[in-house]
Amino acid sequence: MKSITVEKIEGPQWTHYNSQQKQAGHQLLALTAFQGHRLVCHWLSPDGFVTAAVLHWSGLDFPSLSPHLPEVAFDEREIHDLFGYVPKGHPDLRPLMRTPRWPADFYPLNGTSQFPPNWLDTQPDNPAKIVEGDGVTVMKVGPTHAGIIESGHFVFSIIGENVLHLDLHLFQNHRGVEKSLEGLALEEVPRLVSRICGADTVSHQTNWAMAVEQLAGYQVPETLRWERVVLLESERVLCHLNDLAQIPAGVGFQVAHQRALAMKELWQRGLLELFGHRLLFDTVQPGGAARVEVDSLLKLIQTMNKVWHPWRNFVEKHHGFNDRMTGVGLVRRDDAARFGAVGVAARAAGLNFDVRTLMPLYQNLTIPATKGGAGDVAARFKVRLQEVESSWRILQIALNHLREAPAILRWHPPEDLSGEIVSYSESPHGLNVHVVELEQGHVRRYHVRPATFRNWPLVAMATAGNAVADFPLINKSFELCYSCSDR
Amino acid sequence: MHWQNKSLQLRHLDAGSCNGCEQELTALTSQAYDISQFGIDLVASPRHADALVVTGPVTDTMIKPLQKVWEAIPRPKRLVALGDCAAGCGVFQKAYACHGGVASAFGSPDLVIRGCPPQPTEMLEQLKRFQNNSQTATESGL
Ligand code: SF4
Repeated sequence: MKSITVEKIEGPQWTHYNSQQKQAGHQLLALTAFQGHRLVCHWLSPDGFVTAAVLHWSGLDFPSLSPHLPEVAFDEREIHDLFGYVPKGHPDLRPLMRTPRWPADFYPLNGTSQFPPNWLDTQPDNPAKIVEGDGVTVMKVGPTHAGIIESGHFVFSIIGENVLHLDLHLFQNHRGVEKSLEGLALEEVPRLVSRICGADTVSHQTNWAMAVEQLAGYQVPETLRWERVVLLESERVLCHLNDLAQIPAGVGFQVAHQRALAMKELWQRGLLELFGHRLLFDTVQPGGAARVEVDSLLKLIQTMNKVWHPWRNFVEKHHGFNDRMTGVGLVRRDDAARFGAVGVAARAAGLNFDVRTLMPLYQNLTIPATKGGAGDVAARFKVRLQEVESSWRILQIALNHLREAPAILRWHPPEDLSGEIVSYSESPHGLNVHVVELEQGHVRRYHVRPATFRNWPLVAMATAGNAVADFPLINKSFELCYSCSDR
Repeated sequence: MHWQNKSLQLRHLDAGSCNGCEQELTALTSQAYDISQFGIDLVASPRHADALVVTGPVTDTMIKPLQKVWEAIPRPKRLVALGDCAAGCGVFQKAYACHGGVASAFGSPDLVIRGCPPQPTEMLEQLKRFQNNSQTATESGL
């Protein structure tokens, strides 16, 4: 990774500076708050340079970026909830993860709160934004659901069958992950980071490993680089197969759903045999990664291809299924750009951002651009189809390199490692960013900005105007996990 | 109380899981494991359920919904903690917004399935044994 440029920004320049970054086509990595009234906004330039814009202020208020950069509206609400800092001028400062059960003076990350908090004995619901008027019905769904689904609460304002507005009330799965990481020694971190999210676990693990390695100035050897590519791409295939199974389920297309689940199962059994875990937990650490048996994985890919192609052919030729996906849950390209969409959702809307193209880990590899374009459910389905196949191609290249690669000695980070760093990777859901501050080999601050967090507001936007009965389909076409978003 | 019906209808509730347990529970419904052939199934409404399956370390925000879903399940009913988080030995058990698993947050489960996540084969075995032991089962003292 190239070194980070740090820019100290004065209060009045804060919004201007960050808006300029956006206008210049830079990608927002994360907006992170620290104790002591400090904010850092990390930007990634199109040629892979990172700038950290730093704001110090006194008092509680800082100038809100949200009116100019709507993509940080959730971030600022989170900062307000967890630190008590107030983004002045924020258009909608309702609680995000905070609930009426939280004690008024409980701000878990600001360093002054007592643990455990004295939860108040009341219901956890926050006020909802609804549409009022003749013929408008308010329909609440969740937080518990009729299937095997993560918890989330959705408040729909509907007229007839059509959704006028969807108000998201997520964060039911807020565990306090970032706080749990604080104070941990380096070797204690991987077990937790691996479990931030069951779907993007390798990406989270890799971010932690890269953060430590960059701070220590460790040059990642070729072998380790390829081993990580293998794990990241294996995870992408796993997650995409899951999502490709869920989308047909959203329209009751059971045959396609079951056949895709069967492919996922085949892949998972292979992963268990090869890496010892069906979801790839605990496979990447600073200085290390799980070894792979090259021939076994190549053989597994061959086996997969035998079931994949007939399935792909089957779903692509199914008119009914394609009709159900077309034009539903539309995300327009300029909305995707304005709200900082990432991953499959962004590529399906015609944005070309894939952070693998800027990661040193993937140097010398061409990441094929996917064709999405229309921004509907069909486009998100199609992007995943292409990405599974391109992941298999990348896997084959990586495995061929690994056949020749020399074994490496496991590196261990220095026990007194200190410093602040940002690391990022392309998880199956999109750009996944960690901001890590270490002090004498212990975590001082750990901020996780997963792809799903960035994309949730788009789900609400894509749902408005559609029939309410299509919400499961639209939601599944994003298939955002709640756990990494809620943390 | 004797259980007349040997089928086991489960309602699932996520109380702060990482979604790993959910993915493996979903696998049970696929043709590879085909859980319904054993008379075990996941149902949409608590009214149709014999047991509640909880995943996750029980976040504070999910405590009230958990109580409501439990109350909505007709008696006799049983409680299952699925995965290390729900079992009270997961990595986020001590996180500030968690209540340390099903037992400390809510009440003693009738069945605890350990693992992070438990493998589907293991889940299936334990659920089948649980179903067959139902003759001696007593209702959770909740
Ligand atoms: S037990 Fe493991 S897999 Fe299950 S929810 Fe907890 S961390 Fe995730």
